[in-house]
Amino acid sequence: MASDKELSDFLKSVEKRAFKRVAYAVRDDDAALDIVQDSMIRLAEKYVDRPPAELPLLFQRILSNATMDWFRRLKVRNAHVRNFSDFESSDEDGDFNILETLEALDSSAGTESAADSVSRAQILLVIESEVSQLPGRQREAFTLRYWEELDVAETAQVMGCSEGSVKTHCSRAVHALAKALKAKGIAP
Amino acid sequence: MKNSKATIYKSGQDALEARIAYRIAARLNERAETVDTDISERLRFAREKALEKAQAARNAEAAHVISGGNVAAALLGGGNGWWVKLGSALPLVALAAGLMVIQHLHTQAQISVAAEIDAELLADDLPPAAYSDEGFVEFLKTPRD
Repeated sequence: MASDKELSDFLKSVEKRAFKRVAYAVRDDDAALDIVQDSMIRLAEKYVDRPPAELPLLFQRILSNATMDWFRRLKVRNAHVRNFSDFESSDEDGDFNILETLEALDSSAGTESAADSVSRAQILLVIESEVSQLPGRQREAFTLRYWEELDVAETAQVMGCSEGSVKTHCSRAVHALAKALKAKGIAP
Repeated sequence: MKNSKATIYKSGQDALEARIAYRIAARLNERAETVDTDISERLRFAREKALEKAQAARNAEAAHVISGGNVAAALLGGGNGWWVKLGSALPLVALAAGLMVIQHLHTQAQISVAAEIDAELLADDLPPAAYSDEGFVEFLKTPRD
């Protein structure tokens, strides 16, 4: 059973990322905060007897379900059907080579100038913007897998899809991000 | 040979993607740390509310366990201390004592009724026919204490 401190530490460690993830999806800070709060409360009420190691996966599942519920309610309210799986981008990478992004990324490592530092906040903003513009399923797979650091099986469990789908979504997301950032002259 | 090359290429590609992905995730982390104070405060409030709910859930669970324990203790005649145990045993003792008194009184009543019958028989005039009764003769032959 997770103690108060363990639960508090866990929520503290995850709350900002959770807010950002939901905000990317719903594009409404107030709604994102409500969803995160509901998810935290649901975790605390229903799963307080679970060991601390189980909390991250449980929380991500609750958060994903709460986000989906929000979209369902929105759909009913607006009578506006929005198919999230239609967000898939075309896979037309052309002659884009992902290795070039990594080379740019490696060459910039440790060579940040003062000017770079000044514009760092803007770069972070652009990266965040590109992540938020990813198709829904790609963004979810990418953030769960690489930001929340769940493994492929856990990500598939949260997303309710196969591990193969997770790998595909992640790969497409990374390619799309690398391409978009390279086009803007940004190495992540 | 072709397959092994493809496998090596695929694993290299996966590693490359993972490196880029983790770098982007690190930038997202940096960005997430710079959320507005207002949002940070609302997240803190949400966390505290969740912790209150967790505490309430724990208390409810504990109360449930305790009340269950009390019911079990009451059923088993247990309690908190010797006086409570004595108090709960008192009705049983009283019941047993009452039953013993009733049994004793009942026996006494039976004896007194039998004694009255015997006394009346002995005090009454003996009918002559009694001497021809084998049972009465036997009674007379029986030595008295």
